[in-house]
Amino acid sequence: MGVGRRAFVYLLTFWVILTLNFLLPRLLPGDPLAALLDPSSSDYVYDPEVRAALAAYYGLDRPLPEQYGRYLLGALTGDLGRSIRLNRPVAELVVGRLPWTLLLVGTALLFSSALALLTGTESAWRRGSWADRGLVSASILLANVPVYFVGMMLLLLFGARLRWLPLAGGRTPFARYPSALAAALDIGRHLILPALTLTLAMLGAKFLLVRNATVNILGEDFMLVARAKGLPEGRLKWGHALRNALLPFVAHLAAHAGMAVTGAVFIETLFSYPGMGRLIFESVTARDYPVIQGAFLVVSAVVLTANFLADLISLRLDPRLREGGAVG
Amino acid sequence: MRRLGGEVWFGLILLALCSAVAVLAPVLAPYDPRAFSGQPLERPSRAHPLGTNDVGQDILSELIYGARVSLTVALAAGAGTVLLGLLVGGMAGYAGGWLDQALMRLVDGMLSLPRLPLLILFATFLGSGLPQTIAVISFLFWPTTARVVRAQVQSVRQRGYVRMARQFGASHLYVFLRHILPAIGPLIAYGLVTSAGQAVAMEAGLAFLGLGDPLVQSWGLMMRFALNLPGLFLTDRWLWWLLPPALCITLLILALALIGIGLERNLNPRLARRWR
Repeated sequence: MGVGRRAFVYLLTFWVILTLNFLLPRLLPGDPLAALLDPSSSDYVYDPEVRAALAAYYGLDRPLPEQYGRYLLGALTGDLGRSIRLNRPVAELVVGRLPWTLLLVGTALLFSSALALLTGTESAWRRGSWADRGLVSASILLANVPVYFVGMMLLLLFGARLRWLPLAGGRTPFARYPSALAAALDIGRHLILPALTLTLAMLGAKFLLVRNATVNILGEDFMLVARAKGLPEGRLKWGHALRNALLPFVAHLAAHAGMAVTGAVFIETLFSYPGMGRLIFESVTARDYPVIQGAFLVVSAVVLTANFLADLISLRLDPRLREGGAVG
Repeated sequence: MRRLGGEVWFGLILLALCSAVAVLAPVLAPYDPRAFSGQPLERPSRAHPLGTNDVGQDILSELIYGARVSLTVALAAGAGTVLLGLLVGGMAGYAGGWLDQALMRLVDGMLSLPRLPLLILFATFLGSGLPQTIAVISFLFWPTTARVVRAQVQSVRQRGYVRMARQFGASHLYVFLRHILPAIGPLIAYGLVTSAGQAVAMEAGLAFLGLGDPLVQSWGLMMRFALNLPGLFLTDRWLWWLLPPALCITLLILALALIGIGLERNLNPRLARRWR
């Protein structure tokens, strides 16, 4: 599959997401706006003038295709509706929250990838040793334990017991920073626990992936040839084994983006970290439907973009994929 | 069947223990989990081994009855996921051609959707009853199973004895039931166990986020209420309120995962070498 075709598939997927986001509240029961206009509901608005005004305000008096058109146009121009709870544009809320999540996920992605690549290769190199067995068992454990459990344990240990690190939030409330450095340090201190949780949550699966890919590569003929040529051990390990293990690793980065988002939702909720996940949690609690939908759209867009980027990197790394045909 | 490894036994024992607790809940639980059997927020005592929650319900009884919820979800959502995956994957693999193409594009599309946000969206608008949660989880998790089933069906369909059976005039249904289904049996068992584990994690996660059935006292809901208490971590109350449900969920998921790893190893002998 070429770049164009991949881009098309992702755009199509995003369109499906947009449409789902439009249709779900209209098809399923439990829409708060529908409840205002439904005589059988307890939230029914009795004043007919107010009812008409409400329907007109939310565009519910128009035919469905027109609503859909307006919705698509709005979504594409960054209009995601207004929050019922805060009476602010959803887009504004999202813009305030997204950087925190990107910071959290980015940090965790970086550290978990680096750690997984290093330990995974090393573990495969010494497969069968007690260190390898221990790491594999620990990773199976890490890959299967729910992320909120890991977070809770870290929170209890470092936050509540040892009191080394702040329990919640993205920075100290009402703090005035004398310098940019002080601000960065404060944000960094608050980032440690959530980022560590997400790193650990992703590390297990990534480690197993790298290790297993490397074990397969070590059995390849070219490794034997490289060894026969008398290449030094380090060159074999990092230049040949790790380099080839990068391909499946990058190919799975896309799946890990979705995993990171799932992790972020739980971790931000647990640590009261002011990102998108916390926003989703708060809106769910307050039944603030426009915000839930807007956040869903933005998160989906980010995940799909990450998937697309991972695909592009795969294409650059592995020329076989570019030829099309056989592999694509 | 190859010899089962130690971790599989560990998983099986944990699962059996959890099932026993679920079945025997009325016998084991000291109180009705809904009854207000003590003062709010009591510390552990002889009467309430794990204390009481914020409205005075016995936490140990809640915990014991919670096993029923998680196992129901595991069983129902696991079965739902596998049935859907079997149906779509089986059809695609057996029919081939344009139907296969269309169904697999659908699977690809669904696999690229971010699951948790979608799950939250569905749960928000579908309502938060337990049956809805199970339905949504099944609906979102089937594509993985479908893909694996399709690959296996495709390879079985090409085998000599299956082609022979068709030549002798066996109907499609007969071939499917007699030859294909037994060949993908182990795969189904593996799919069932892994999707059951994912379903347990997701149900607890949804309840934790406040999208669970508020009338069903599940482990996830217990965690939510515990975390809702202001200053939970300032005392050691989390020790008997938050930790037990979190630990139960984790152990159940781990048990299912370990059984899954054992089954995977039996399915694919190449893996056995790799894991060792």
